[in-house]
Amino acid sequence: MNEATFMGVPRSRIDWSPRIDYAKCNDCLECVEFCPHQVFEVREAEMPKLIVKNPGNCVVFCRACAKTCGVDALSFPNKNQTTLLIKQVRKEMGGR
Amino acid sequence: MKDTARDSVQATENLKHSGTNGVYAILPCNGLDKAAGAVSREVALQLAERTGSEILCPVFYRVAEARYNRLAGERPLLVIDGCATRCASKLAAENGLKASKKLTVTEEAKQRGIELGDALRLDEAGCSLAKALATALLDAEAVETAEQKAATAFPEHFEYETYQKDKFLFRLPKSGFFFNENDVWVLADGNRARVGLTDYLQQTLSDILFATPPAVGTVVEQFGELGTIESAKAVMEVVSPVTGKVVAVNQALAASPELINQNPYEQGWLVELELADFEKDRELLLDFAGYLPVLKRKVDQFQVR
Repeated sequence: MNEATFMGVPRSRIDWSPRIDYAKCNDCLECVEFCPHQVFEVREAEMPKLIVKNPGNCVVFCRACAKTCGVDALSFPNKNQTTLLIKQVRKEMGGR
Repeated sequence: MKDTARDSVQATENLKHSGTNGVYAILPCNGLDKAAGAVSREVALQLAERTGSEILCPVFYRVAEARYNRLAGERPLLVIDGCATRCASKLAAENGLKASKKLTVTEEAKQRGIELGDALRLDEAGCSLAKALATALLDAEAVETAEQKAATAFPEHFEYETYQKDKFLFRLPKSGFFFNENDVWVLADGNRARVGLTDYLQQTLSDILFATPPAVGTVVEQFGELGTIESAKAVMEVVSPVTGKVVAVNQALAASPELINQNPYEQGWLVELELADFEKDRELLLDFAGYLPVLKRKVDQFQVR
């Protein structure tokens, strides 16, 4: 899936994925149940149990998993900075 | 009568019934698991006292279905969720109840910069938040209809390209529309624009149960949140394709959210915005020719779960 892009920009150049606040997370795993893109991974015997395994699978600007989180433990990078970065990379790539 | 025409008449009828004067059947979270549960319960009590609304106790609901289903059928339903786990919404959905208004206490608290804390007993801050939420709800109801500017006369029908996979058929309007890669469209007319979900997004969500548009007057940025859509599967945030101010919401969706499933480009539109700088927004939008391959790729990868 290395060729994945968002608005023509290689997905690998865009830092967009959920951040887990482990002080709040209660391992309810609603986010894992929700996300159809296998962004999270559950490791039964380890601490922490929940990790962001595949950040590159996360849909840029999607924040839907945070909506399922009862304890508000998920956050995302700054949308405006991400938008600027995408525009900048597009310019570098020749205004695609 | 054609289906769409009948649906439209039905939607108008439903809207008439939703003129509530703040009198609801209220299904609140009153969970003892978080502070937000106590606040939800207090909001419900405040509204009941102030408007004569009736409360459906979620615990008693488990053993008194018939009585509460009847009550919810007689009045518009207000669902108050404590937190994002949305127990009250899920209970309503399990019983086939259609909410005409929703509130999530933790989200409201966040917007007001209030920390709810861990104490389960309602404290002074929780009590004043509950009072404020009840008041805001009643005030908003009075203002909403007054503030809504006349919706611009956008065309009612469009020509579509279709893309089919198995039994699923995806429509895409051939001209005029722009899309973001988050499957939300925008149709501009001067500095006004209509926004909605693409056919692909509504089909992946399946049956839409509730649309929560932002309030009229809300300013939203491109790729910011433009309300939420709740289906049997999930709650999805609508990722705004443009920057602008909300000037109208599709009021028919309050009573008939299924209009989004029927045609998300026509009667199922979500909101109208006053655009800030559409030329700038367009840099990160796709036209029909640009979005069609994105749609095809998504459809081909899509697995019905």
